[in-house]
Amino acid sequence: MKKLLQIELIKTLNNSTFRVILILHFFLFLLLIYVSTKIEFSVPGFSTQNMFMFPNVWTLISWFASWFNLLFLGIIIIVLTGNEFSYKTLRMQIMNGLSRENFLFGKGFIILLIAIWGMLLILLAGSVTGIIFTSEISFQKVLDKSYLLLVYFIQAIGYMCFALMVVSIFRNNALSIMMYLLYFIMIEPIFRLFLPKVIRPFFPVKILSGLTPVPEFISITSNSTLITSSGKSQLDFDSIGILPESIPLLTSLILTIVYISLFILVVFTIIKRTDL
Amino acid sequence: MNEVLKISGLTKYYGKIVAIDDLSLTIEKGNVYGILGPNGSGKTTTLSIITNIIHPTKGNYTWFGEKPTPASLQRIGSLVETPTFYPYLSLYQNLQIITRIKSLPDAGINRVLGETNLLVRKHSRYNTLSLGMKQRMGLAAALLGDPEALVLDEPTNGLDPEGFAEVRELILREAHNGKTIILASHILDEVEKVCSHVAILKTGKVVAAGRVSDLLTKDDVIRITTDKPNELYEALVRGGWIKTINREGNELVLTLVKEKSSGDLNEFAFKNGFVLEKIEIVKQSLESQFLELVKETNPNSIKS
Ligand SMILES: Nc1ncnc2c1ncn2[C@@H]1O[C@H](COP(=O)(O)OP(=O)(O)OP(=O)(O)O)[C@@H](O)[C@H]1O
Ligand SMILES: [Mg+2]
Repeated sequence: MKKLLQIELIKTLNNSTFRVILILHFFLFLLLIYVSTKIEFSVPGFSTQNMFMFPNVWTLISWFASWFNLLFLGIIIIVLTGNEFSYKTLRMQIMNGLSRENFLFGKGFIILLIAIWGMLLILLAGSVTGIIFTSEISFQKVLDKSYLLLVYFIQAIGYMCFALMVVSIFRNNALSIMMYLLYFIMIEPIFRLFLPKVIRPFFPVKILSGLTPVPEFISITSNSTLITSSGKSQLDFDSIGILPESIPLLTSLILTIVYISLFILVVFTIIKRTDL
Repeated sequence: MNEVLKISGLTKYYGKIVAIDDLSLTIEKGNVYGILGPNGSGKTTTLSIITNIIHPTKGNYTWFGEKPTPASLQRIGSLVETPTFYPYLSLYQNLQIITRIKSLPDAGINRVLGETNLLVRKHSRYNTLSLGMKQRMGLAAALLGDPEALVLDEPTNGLDPEGFAEVRELILREAHNGKTIILASHILDEVEKVCSHVAILKTGKVVAAGRVSDLLTKDDVIRITTDKPNELYEALVRGGWIKTINREGNELVLTLVKEKSSGDLNEFAFKNGFVLEKIEIVKQSLESQFLELVKETNPNSIKS
């Protein structure tokens, strides 16, 4: 196990794409938070400042972070794994006696490490922002909603396992990245529209993105503005999937874990069968 | 257990193309086993299967007398088709990945880089190597950990004449140390010079297999001119020397059974009072046999 981790670290830490994506992730994430604290818009009854105070800061920042899960962390996994196919290095490792399972365990380690990194980043950004904006910090305020860190962690693993599945299917970086993004932003959302309302909330994108819902403040304001501007009812927003879901968090978490297991099962089945 | 590799009834279809067809081979400890065949005859496919890279459609194989597992591959050094490494890692880092997989000490890395003349490039990125250097790097990786068996697919690919000779020497040296070597090649000369055994493949089938020396001498034709051709003819046939024999005027044109050599024949004639005016051995080279065996190469058969 220690050897698998070492192998994976040699491959990953020296990869320049990986380094660039991770550094970008770090700076853009912090930049986004910094910029967001500067934006002020006031809606009667709400204060933007409120979003940056404990415990609301956890909701806001984990929501921001979830966008990076989709765009950065998932794509890192596609690139790292896709390279193993295009450089034929998976083949090289199998030939030297690595089992296909152990290869995937190695990738699993990387997924865990990246998810931990993302979580630490939220912890750092959330703590700093919270400390700056909260006037009366209490232990209880800080801890309240801090479970979102764990929710984020599971979500990150979900996105990355999904990415791993996509790249195992297509075995090609460009195609995989395209299909991965398309699935999230088009394929599933459109597909959902054709299905009965009752099952719509149970699709992977819906479940995964629903883990870190749009903070109430933003959803209410955007909702209210849109209702007034176009006169549409809230129901339509629900069906398109922009608004937070009504599924309880615990159910979403359990379903996420079921989906993660499913993705992993598919990955193992594919990798065990393919000729390299 | 002296069997290093036993292949039984191995078959691989790529869609409708039959890449190898019911292939069986046994390779024993210490053999330098050549797998000789023209392009597309299934050499790489065979080696890819025994190194777990691709799955056979039918058939099975054993390494060291056991059902193969990834762990059995850790005892083998292999270079199949072209060498593949992480382009952005140094030679040293690339080899570190293999030492981790095979649980070897890193100390061996310098040794194999030295043996393949790559030590000065130890910290270069893999993608800065020339074609021939990459091939050497593939060999270096195969030699890591002094494995019991080597699987080499056209190891001299892309090498200069010096590299050619070095690889040949390296193989002979490893063989001398008791290593089992499986060498795929379409270069007859290479097989003839380094291999003890050979299997000749043609469109995925073994058309001939055995010791290189047997395959070489099997059809040596001997031409003898003697004072008493009839008597010699009689004596040789009765003594069980002859595989085929013909009289062409005063000349006997014959091939001997496996156990007898032309030297034995000379001695026998001398002892029995025949005067051999001329004894000529027409060696039929492996090359002509090889060409004969693989001629009329059809495109790969199509599964019906
Ligand atoms: N991935 C593949 N898909 C389809 N057909 C393949 C594939 N790999 C090999 N083949 C076919 O299988 C047959 C055997 O190929 P193989 O690579 O084993 O030959 P080879 O003896 O190694 O030839 P060479 O001397 O050119 O390296 C060929 O007809 C080839 O076209
Ligand atoms: Mg080949």
